[in-house]
Amino acid sequence: MAERETTVGPEEGIHGRPAAQFVKAAKGFSSQVVIVKGDREVNAKSVLKITGLARKGEKVTIRAEGEDAEQAVEALAELISADER
Amino acid sequence: MGPAFVPTTGRPEPERDRINEDEVEPGLRRFKDAAEVVAGKLSETGDELRESGNEEEAGIFEFHVEMTEDPELVSAVEERIRELESPEAAVLAVGEEYAAEFAAMDDEYMAARADDVRDVTGQISAELMGRGASGFEALKTPSVVLARSLAPSETARIPKGMALGFVTAEGSRTSHVSIMARSMGIPAVVGVGEALEDALDAKKVAIDGGEGSAITDPDNDTVARFERMSTALAEEQAALDEYRHVEARTSEGRRIEVAANLGSASEAEDALAWGAEGVGLFRTEFLFMERDDLPSEDEQCIAYSAVASAFGEKPVIIRTLDVGGDKNLPGVDQAREENPFLGWRGIRMSLDTPDLFKPQLRAILRAAADGNLKVMFPMVADVGELEAAKAMLQESRAELETEGAETGEVEAGVMIETPAAALCAAELAKESAFFSIGTNDLVQYTLAADRGNERLRRLQNADHPAVLALIRQTCEAADAAGIPAGVCGEAAGEPEMIPKLIALGVTELSMGAPAIPRAKKVVSEL
Repeated sequence: MAERETTVGPEEGIHGRPAAQFVKAAKGFSSQVVIVKGDREVNAKSVLKITGLARKGEKVTIRAEGEDAEQAVEALAELISADER
Repeated sequence: MGPAFVPTTGRPEPERDRINEDEVEPGLRRFKDAAEVVAGKLSETGDELRESGNEEEAGIFEFHVEMTEDPELVSAVEERIRELESPEAAVLAVGEEYAAEFAAMDDEYMAARADDVRDVTGQISAELMGRGASGFEALKTPSVVLARSLAPSETARIPKGMALGFVTAEGSRTSHVSIMARSMGIPAVVGVGEALEDALDAKKVAIDGGEGSAITDPDNDTVARFERMSTALAEEQAALDEYRHVEARTSEGRRIEVAANLGSASEAEDALAWGAEGVGLFRTEFLFMERDDLPSEDEQCIAYSAVASAFGEKPVIIRTLDVGGDKNLPGVDQAREENPFLGWRGIRMSLDTPDLFKPQLRAILRAAADGNLKVMFPMVADVGELEAAKAMLQESRAELETEGAETGEVEAGVMIETPAAALCAAELAKESAFFSIGTNDLVQYTLAADRGNERLRRLQNADHPAVLALIRQTCEAADAAGIPAGVCGEAAGEPEMIPKLIALGVTELSMGAPAIPRAKKVVSEL
């Protein structure tokens, strides 16, 4: 298992297009990936679950379990903390 | 001007709520198929928007596509189906659960996502019942559509030619409905507010998109005035129609070939009807998107061969894959990049990944047996890249010949879209059979102005001295080497840019097909 804490980057939080792109990236890993915020834990491959989960500046933890867990956590933590273009 | 049509908006009503035990398996399959069909339509609309430069609208469809494939949504619906709920009712119920969750969020933006999830699940449900979700199937005569708001997915479902115009209570010049109206070539009056309520009972509506006004149940004088206006517009369009199939020539007798930019083989027929004299840019990205594996050589060959045969002897320029870190490719080790548009993309990626590039080149060489295909390499920055790409083309041809496969002649050219390529044009021209100037990227790279950045509108313009100088240099190099120089960016279809491009020495214009008749007219009047 791998996990990393990070801060949400996009201005309007996790929603819409950044959410879609995050989910696409998450689906590229075979590991099970979840985003944890406070006591909520949601499937990172579900756009409906991650939408509205957190806003800009809030801390979330990406946790993954599986063969490519390390890579998944690293890539997804970076993606979620990137500022929206 | 036309009869008023008010679509029945809102959620589709399930035909039945419960199913029998033996309908579970077929129900699960039907749900999966319907979700796939809806995802396909959504991503198609998204692609069209992206190609017409509406990046932001396209992003909404990307979000909607992800919703149709959402694993949590899918498993919740499947569970309900296993509990003998009908698929159409199950998907609505699950959509409603999420919508309620979003609507309850203390955030206007998230509350609006409730409409998104209702929209998408409504579409899947409607698809399951074999009908469109917005009641537009009842639209049988061309009419003016009146609605509180029109979602992009709704406007996209309007049968071709049936909408004469839109009147909506919500929206602005830059909202979806306005953009969709422009791309459909019809007028829209948006943001009329409460006035819409009074208009809903109208039998007939006249709208003036230029002025932004709508008149319900117009009197005879108004009808006459609108009839004169629409005749004038129709005459303008008809005058353009005459130019569809002419060979465009300037008054000096310079022949300018006017071709179409295509994003998939299915657009070939329409492009020919608009008067395309060839394809100046055939994008191949569509073959690689929205899938979990790479398209095989055979699959690519079928697509290229389809467009080659449709155009017969007319030339079709196939651009090899032009993606970078902004799009994920299955099976390719792409790192996330800070600047995907300055990154590992286009020919740079192709040359580094022969497993990706070679099948594409082989497919093009094989398909060339069915028509007049040329190949064009994107993002070239120096002659070394062109030589390497041509060597790989040669290698692929040799392999195919050894295997005894049928191939055709394929000329190789360069897409001039980096300032470096324009500056090295004289050297590149010695190794190229043609140039095609991609003005959109050439502008972005020359003026260091991101194509997608709204604030840089002023700099997203090919009519800039620096860009024009690079185009001139490219054309001069092409002329000296005796090869054609085309333009395949948006500038090629802009009436005010066409005279300038031709004066700079451009010999070929390639554009979105509907712009072809006007471009031919502009050329003929020079």
